[in-house]
Amino acid sequence: MAEPTPVHLFHMSEKRRQFKSSGFFLKMAVLLLFILVPFLFPSFKTVDLAMQIVMFAALVASFDILLGYTGILSFGHGMFFGIGAYCVAFLIGKYGSPSYGNLILGFLLAAAVSAVLALLISLLTLRVKAIFFAMITLAIAELAIVLATKLSGLTGGEDGISLFTPGIFSPAFNLGEFMGIDINGRVVTYYFILFSCLALFLIMLRFTKSPLGRVLQAIRDNVQRAEALGYNTFLYQSISITFGCVVAGLVGALYALWVGYVNPESSLSVMTIMLDVLLMVIIGGMGTLYGGLIGAAFLKITQTYLPDLQHLAKDLFPQAEFLHNIMERWLLLFGVLFILVVIFFPKGVIGSIREYGARRKSRGLNKTA
Amino acid sequence: MSEAILAVSGVHTFIGQHHILQGISFEARADAVTVLLGRNGAGKSTTLKTTIGLLPAARGKIVYRGKEIQDCKPYEIAREGIGFIPEHMGIFAGLTVEENMRVAMLSEDADTHRRLERTLDMFADLRKFWRAKAGILSGGQKQMLSIARAIVNKTSLLLIDEPSKGLAPIIVDVLIDAINQIKERSVVILVEQNFYMASSVGDYFFILDDGMVVHSGEMPALIQDEALQSRYLGISKIS
Repeated sequence: MAEPTPVHLFHMSEKRRQFKSSGFFLKMAVLLLFILVPFLFPSFKTVDLAMQIVMFAALVASFDILLGYTGILSFGHGMFFGIGAYCVAFLIGKYGSPSYGNLILGFLLAAAVSAVLALLISLLTLRVKAIFFAMITLAIAELAIVLATKLSGLTGGEDGISLFTPGIFSPAFNLGEFMGIDINGRVVTYYFILFSCLALFLIMLRFTKSPLGRVLQAIRDNVQRAEALGYNTFLYQSISITFGCVVAGLVGALYALWVGYVNPESSLSVMTIMLDVLLMVIIGGMGTLYGGLIGAAFLKITQTYLPDLQHLAKDLFPQAEFLHNIMERWLLLFGVLFILVVIFFPKGVIGSIREYGARRKSRGLNKTA
Repeated sequence: MSEAILAVSGVHTFIGQHHILQGISFEARADAVTVLLGRNGAGKSTTLKTTIGLLPAARGKIVYRGKEIQDCKPYEIAREGIGFIPEHMGIFAGLTVEENMRVAMLSEDADTHRRLERTLDMFADLRKFWRAKAGILSGGQKQMLSIARAIVNKTSLLLIDEPSKGLAPIIVDVLIDAINQIKERSVVILVEQNFYMASSVGDYFFILDDGMVVHSGEMPALIQDEALQSRYLGISKIS
């Protein structure tokens, strides 16, 4: 038998280490926490928060494939999230009955429309310089909002579309009680979305670890060098954009299923969706995928609980008016927190931790050299 | 005399408004190291970038193994079997040494793995830093990685752009050994300012000035010709 090559040896050691590392147990613990949320914190606010974190983590990871793994800045990524949401809304809201068949069709339509549109945008605009590409995608995203608002006959305009979820996803569905919790349509939808997002995340992880993912990272580092190694960088960038946008479309479809309502402001807006996604990827760390979860958790938790601080301040310190005034302006506190994260984790939380680990490892290697 | 594997004839290249290559012509012969020499700005690196397709040739012909490649894309040229090692240690700093090598491996067949083994034997440091980010390597190690990446595939022509730039003399000697091993199985075109390195590995030379070839010949003749070295390469003997 042939001697194992360094590549084989590396993979054998990776496989051995994979299920023993502390990182693996941490990931399992986080997954378990999300699985237990409806039982541990059954209030609607907390379950909704967990769901928002999960969906945005998947959306941010799909954006990270473009920005962190391929070096492409697209402001149109949020648009694909909206397209996915509208596709499901059309099929089980405005133009179709709430059936499983229509729901599956909605998901397929979300993926297909996202793929075709992403490919079209790539082919037409990817050859321009990075900043112009970002501007073109911003213009396309704004155009999508205008179309969704103005074509009210088709899209419901600013009023949006309400969805009617089928069967086990319907609010009326009830399977009975389990461990003191009503297993209703809401809980079933929670687990459906949780495991769908997990599956999407694992697919993205596989994508980035594949030979294709390595080429994308090489393109991110230097397009010309990757080209001189024999890679058609334009083709690889198009594949990356299309893949990321299809995932964004599917997450959008899941979002519609959870919220039960879509309109241009909540599903397509550059300011509400894209800005959040950008902040999340910066906080979590670009080119990490897992950073999406950290960024989404940070942003969604602060957005949910910081406004409550003013009530807490009033209860605890009824006389401290200055404190009340500050707590009312919770966005200011959010800004301070964001600045602190960027100062202490310049490459995002996961990015900075990984860099610290790599530096320690390289110091060790240099000592043995 | 062995036949030419690459023939560049009358090539003109512009970078923006600047006319860099002004009708350059030269040949790279099989089983030999051809060295492009000249002062800064003579057009040496531009010649390599034009050959690999990173800069478009405005006029002229580049023929590789009987096929015109001047209008081909860089990835098409690379897949014809031409490897390129850019100056400034063109590695992917964000990837590990392993990932750099695997990106370079256009296939993962047994032959490529054998070449990988041989390459890692040539540059032992790469094996040691196999899982480290390439960005943390020293200058010499980055240059080794850059060369290793180019020779892990079956290349019949290797374009190397100033490999000794900014490196300590002891590392330059390692690179000379490496290029002497590489030339056993691949034709090399080397752009070099370091005359010690150029004369140690080169078989033929072309001196460039203002985007044109002004002198050419066999390397031993140039080593003897101090007047030519002084005129075009700025090398003068201290008496």
